[in-house]
Amino acid sequence: MAHSENTPSALEDARYEIFVAKFAHYEPDLRRFVRSLLPTATDADDVLQQTAIVIWRKFDQYDPETNFMKWACVIARFESLAYRRKMARDRLVFREDVLELMADEGVEEIDSRRAEHEALETCLAAMPEKQRKFVMLAYTSSIKIKELAEEAGSSSAAFYMRLKRFRHQLMKCVEEKTQRMENA
Amino acid sequence: MMKSNPKMNFDDLPFEEQEWLDDYLDGTILPDDFAAFQNRLHESPELRAIARRYLAIDDSLRQGIEFDSNAAAAAAATPWLKLEDAPMEDVKVVRFPKLMPIAAAATIAFLLGSAAMMVFRPGETIATVDGQSAEGFAVVEQLFDAEWPNSDSQFREGDTIGAEVFRLASGTAEIQFFSGAMMTVEGPAEISLKSAWEAACIEGSVRMNVPPAARGFKLQAPSTEIIDLGTEFGLEVRNGKGHVEVFDGEIAIRHHGATEQQLVTKGNALGLSPDGPGGPSPIGSVEFPDARMFDSQAKEQQQSDFAHWQAHRDSLAKDERLIAYYTFDRVADDSLIPDLKIPRNTELDGAVVMAEPVDGRWPGMKSALEFRRPSARVRVNIPGDFSAFTFATWVRIDSLDRKYNALFMGDSYETGEPHWQIRDDGALMLSVMVDNSKPNPGALNDAGLHRVYFSPPIWEMSMSGQWMHVASVYDPVARAVSHYVNGKQISTQEIVDKFFINTLRIGNAEIGNWGLPFREDPWFAIRNLNGRMDEIAIFDAALDENEIAILFKNSRSDR
Repeated sequence: MAHSENTPSALEDARYEIFVAKFAHYEPDLRRFVRSLLPTATDADDVLQQTAIVIWRKFDQYDPETNFMKWACVIARFESLAYRRKMARDRLVFREDVLELMADEGVEEIDSRRAEHEALETCLAAMPEKQRKFVMLAYTSSIKIKELAEEAGSSSAAFYMRLKRFRHQLMKCVEEKTQRMENA
Repeated sequence: MMKSNPKMNFDDLPFEEQEWLDDYLDGTILPDDFAAFQNRLHESPELRAIARRYLAIDDSLRQGIEFDSNAAAAAAATPWLKLEDAPMEDVKVVRFPKLMPIAAAATIAFLLGSAAMMVFRPGETIATVDGQSAEGFAVVEQLFDAEWPNSDSQFREGDTIGAEVFRLASGTAEIQFFSGAMMTVEGPAEISLKSAWEAACIEGSVRMNVPPAARGFKLQAPSTEIIDLGTEFGLEVRNGKGHVEVFDGEIAIRHHGATEQQLVTKGNALGLSPDGPGGPSPIGSVEFPDARMFDSQAKEQQQSDFAHWQAHRDSLAKDERLIAYYTFDRVADDSLIPDLKIPRNTELDGAVVMAEPVDGRWPGMKSALEFRRPSARVRVNIPGDFSAFTFATWVRIDSLDRKYNALFMGDSYETGEPHWQIRDDGALMLSVMVDNSKPNPGALNDAGLHRVYFSPPIWEMSMSGQWMHVASVYDPVARAVSHYVNGKQISTQEIVDKFFINTLRIGNAEIGNWGLPFREDPWFAIRNLNGRMDEIAIFDAALDENEIAILFKNSRSDR
């Protein structure tokens, strides 16, 4: 054999490195894609992890000439559907037809999602500091917003309204920024 | 492309649909509404597009997005004090967000109002390790030769301090208030911390450094209030009598109950009696603690601690019970980290993959490895049969991003192989595969018969960036699994017959992640630890409580 130094394990190592690099690069895109199909961020975590496993298993089937993200999205879509069936008792899981529509359209929006994410960074920066801190605290605590609001007691409604208002503001800001970019 | 044209925005949605979206996102949507929401989603490509955008934005926020801090700084150029006009009484529960440096976290805590800061849910106050508190508005920046008057009010560097009395028997402490004010305290001292903007010196000698951002910081002395106008000054209080001296800038002094203020400028000193500010006092009659001196002393202290650790490392390397010992410093060009166990066995050296060398516990003196990237890991291959396991590491967790965050993980998790990791709620986990040919009862997807021994949570967000010593022991002889933090046992559980195994193995394994599978049916997952590891030791023995305490004591960096 001409390539006797390429032991299976060495090849495996090399392949693994490529996989890891690819996956790490696209993980945020894939995450945003998956998130729009599932009820909660935790569900997205689970599906993303499962997707990573399957991508690795099937990595030898991936043709490096083709779009990795598209290929990964197909797997993520499938894993989301499988997850949905497992979780179907949860009343907040999308119907299969809705999930499929969301996935098929979501695949085409990977670049938009990325632009929106970047716009969000700018929008957050432009927010009055106090509001920004509020949003970031409310979000990055590991307590669910609902529990957070409940814990806040009598003012839970105010807390919740406030958070919602800021979320709307950020959404509007992102929409304005990304549309301006499209028109530019 | 399926772009809807003209593009619709969130604001263009009917109010009802906006509400559905919010309620869906927050998990509060009612069943009827959810059905209606789905019908509408099915019909409307516009609603679907907006929903995807909205969910993704929500998720980005949840993941702890980093924003452009330069732009933010410009936007925040408006004076902070103005913001205090609008009280935020509706914020009660606060946690430090991930990915934020301590200064930013400090700012947040400050902005949320200086009166009541962080109220945790009763079950949430996890950080009882070494008396650390998760509440607060100031942080113990540095300690030098600090001695404490009693054992239950000891502080460590990096501890957060809230409204409490800070007592120092001797030595020096540097306290950074989240307003930006810096207090250097020399013991014996008793300081009552009130907020990020106010403290009272009951006894002792302090030096205050107040940057412009913290102008207005108040220091209460006996019967007198000192308002800092952006300066550096010293205050000594002994037996109810005070002496205040201004080194730079100016301060305003007001007798309690009086409305008039008296200005004291640079180079002047004043005596303070229980009746109020007294006459001028001689300059230089009191020696105040000096932060600059303190820095150079701290450096010396660090060097001495580091030398102490080096001696500890060299003696530990000779411990016959060691399986392997990695300290992650001096990663060579070939990306190998040596196993330090003596006699040396290069077969046990670890391969660094994507993990980055960063400052360790002694910045500038020792490096550590950071496993922030999803692919970061150190790969090892450790052959042999073992009769017990003790894992001990110095680790700095920045955040627990994954459901499970790896410390040390056997690759394929076959019979006898360990998994040592931390769950996202901060619980430490140690498990050993008991029999991978048998199913695990009650868990469909699990790899085989095993049991995970959890500790109570040992970490939460306010501890982000702090170094901690973590150890876990798998002891088949005593039939117990125990977890330790900073030398103290925090939990111990029995190994029952069903989950008993006493032939232990490691084989291919990873530090800081879980990875490369060699089995036919690879079970792969990203479990990188978002944080740093400074050293890890693995023993073929069950170290007892005393030995773990000594291990901690001899290797710590903040003596």
